[in-house]
Amino acid sequence: MGDLLIDVAREAFTPTTAAFALAAVGLNFHFGLTGLLNMGQAGFMLLGMYGYAITVREGGPIWLAIIVALVVAMVFGVILGWPTLKLRGDYLAIVTIAAAEMVRYLGRSQNFNSLTGASTGIRGNEFKGSFEALSPFPDRMVDVGPFALHGTRSTSWWLVVVGWALVAIFTLIFWRLSKSPWGRVLKGIREDEDAVRSLGKNVYSYKMQALVIGGAVGAVSGVIWALGASVQPDSMGRPTTFWVWTLLLLGGAATIFGPVLGSILFWCSLVLIKGLAAMWIPDTVLSQQQLQPFSLLLVGVTLMLLVIFRPQGVLGDKRELAFND
Amino acid sequence: MKRSLDTRAKARALVVFLVAAVAVTWLLTAQQAAAATESADVGTVIATDITSQPMLTDATPITVGAVASEVDTPEQTAVSSSQSRVLQNVFNGFVFGLLLALASVGLSLIYGTTGLSNFAHGEQVSLGAMLAYFFTTDQPVSIPLTPWEFVIGWPLWLAALAAIAVAGGTGWVQDRFLWGKLRKRGVGMVQQMIVSIGLSLALLNFLQWWIGPDRLRLSKAIEVKHQFGPIQVGDITMMSIGIASIALVSVALFLQKTRLGRATRAVSDNPSLAAASGIQVNSIIRLVWIMAVSLAALGGILLALYDNGTKFDVGAKLLLLMFAAVTLGGLGQAYGALLGSLVIGVVVETSTLWLGPDLKYATALGILIIVLLVRPQGLLGRVERVG
Repeated sequence: MGDLLIDVAREAFTPTTAAFALAAVGLNFHFGLTGLLNMGQAGFMLLGMYGYAITVREGGPIWLAIIVALVVAMVFGVILGWPTLKLRGDYLAIVTIAAAEMVRYLGRSQNFNSLTGASTGIRGNEFKGSFEALSPFPDRMVDVGPFALHGTRSTSWWLVVVGWALVAIFTLIFWRLSKSPWGRVLKGIREDEDAVRSLGKNVYSYKMQALVIGGAVGAVSGVIWALGASVQPDSMGRPTTFWVWTLLLLGGAATIFGPVLGSILFWCSLVLIKGLAAMWIPDTVLSQQQLQPFSLLLVGVTLMLLVIFRPQGVLGDKRELAFND
Repeated sequence: MKRSLDTRAKARALVVFLVAAVAVTWLLTAQQAAAATESADVGTVIATDITSQPMLTDATPITVGAVASEVDTPEQTAVSSSQSRVLQNVFNGFVFGLLLALASVGLSLIYGTTGLSNFAHGEQVSLGAMLAYFFTTDQPVSIPLTPWEFVIGWPLWLAALAAIAVAGGTGWVQDRFLWGKLRKRGVGMVQQMIVSIGLSLALLNFLQWWIGPDRLRLSKAIEVKHQFGPIQVGDITMMSIGIASIALVSVALFLQKTRLGRATRAVSDNPSLAAASGIQVNSIIRLVWIMAVSLAALGGILLALYDNGTKFDVGAKLLLLMFAAVTLGGLGQAYGALLGSLVIGVVVETSTLWLGPDLKYATALGILIIVLLVRPQGLLGRVERVG
């Protein structure tokens, strides 16, 4: 039981949690602020990781790799938004989910084996070196309280610090932008597009800006994820997008800290559920390999219940509902 | 009026298809040129790869083979065989499209009558296939959270009927306890769409938990192949074509000839007007749900036979093809979904001639994006503001 609690507490700050919080901040630009139904956040994340990992692998410096990751995701956003932002909301949903899958199919295709490593992806040691070289922490396991992580390598204290610093920065940016005149226009679009249009604002352009900025944040989250694990196209399928949605709605869309809280709650409860189920449900009823689908089944049910009964999430404001069509 | 619409739609379908074909060939030539210049140094890279990374050996021979065949295939012998390969692929695509249509017609009917883009429809396809497996397999099966294992082992036709019946039952349950309630509460369409995403995630994992992650076969029978000119067809495939055609024709007859079908089209056209003229909108929608889900289950079973295997996530992969088909045909148009599925099926299968099998679904998604750019209301859709 004590071990389980430590595991749960560790899950609250791992780089994965930070990466998902970042992805949800990006989605918050899309959905929370503007009401765009981006169902392809995993595609932005995957493009971000490819951009970063391939640039570093080919010998580029880190700053260039980050710029490449951002630019690739932004271009992707423009391409997606161009045909769909003038259409009804669910068209954007269908196209983004399709485009994200297309990125994954292209990434895992044999045709681009030399570039993306096909379905094996890009292994961590091909692109993590230059980031890990910057680490100020020692190159060994470091214990902080009950938590033991490596100082530098992969899922390390260094990545934890960088990841959460980025989460803090982007949350701050989100807060400032959402309070700015620009953010108020976006909220206006979310509430009533036609009203904003009648005020002379270019709704299409504002939506495009939101889509591109949120996608760029998604790309950064992809980079964090990749630095903690590796570039694996199949880990960025549709379920990933749906998890990001679940945790954003759990924390509360259109709120400042919703994505962060949602991500922490989501991952901690996932670990907790798995741990408790392993402890109390006998193996004959629910075997070890059935635990994963069982807990993800609960994620799906949670998403449904959240949307039906508490669409504003934990932190949200009922009046600031982002759902309208 | 109906007929003129059909001919116009056919012309449009042809144009879209030609454009897609031209684009694909253009891509192909560009890629071949690039491949030819690269092939020399790629070969050496691969050779070093094999020695240094034993893990990658299952992937690399394919590229080696592709490079080799590209180099030493003489032009003259390739012509006749490639022609029959094209015909075979077009035919396969047609069959695939027909089976895909079973699923997408239902998706389109649901969209037409309720306005919901049902993201869980792919899982309904898998559910059909999994239920059929559950009833027909001679391996011991169990129901989740119960410790008992048992063998059902019904013959395939009985298992398929039972699977379709149970799947139809889930359609009724869904509409009775979920979608009907949501409609009554006035929950917005976007919210309902996200609910369907949650349902899809839940169902997908439920199926994995229940049946397991392995690839399964519904039938152990070995297919007898028949040769018709350049085209090779197995007898199970022929039966699938027959069943799918009968199902689709009866849906069409139902929609055109029966009172209920006319009521369905009326609800699809304008729910409030239909309600005002005395049609029970909610029971029509429930009927549509049952029909759509049963059709999807049938599609799943036939696809499992056609592909000679199935998996818990087979429908999840098809969902986007269904959306592409439905959008191509025009959201909410049942015949549009049929037409769109056939086009998507043919494009997906013929694209494997040039692009390699791992990219075949990507072409359909490319079509989806192009359609939304050029003609967002789809081939058969009415010209209206969709934004």
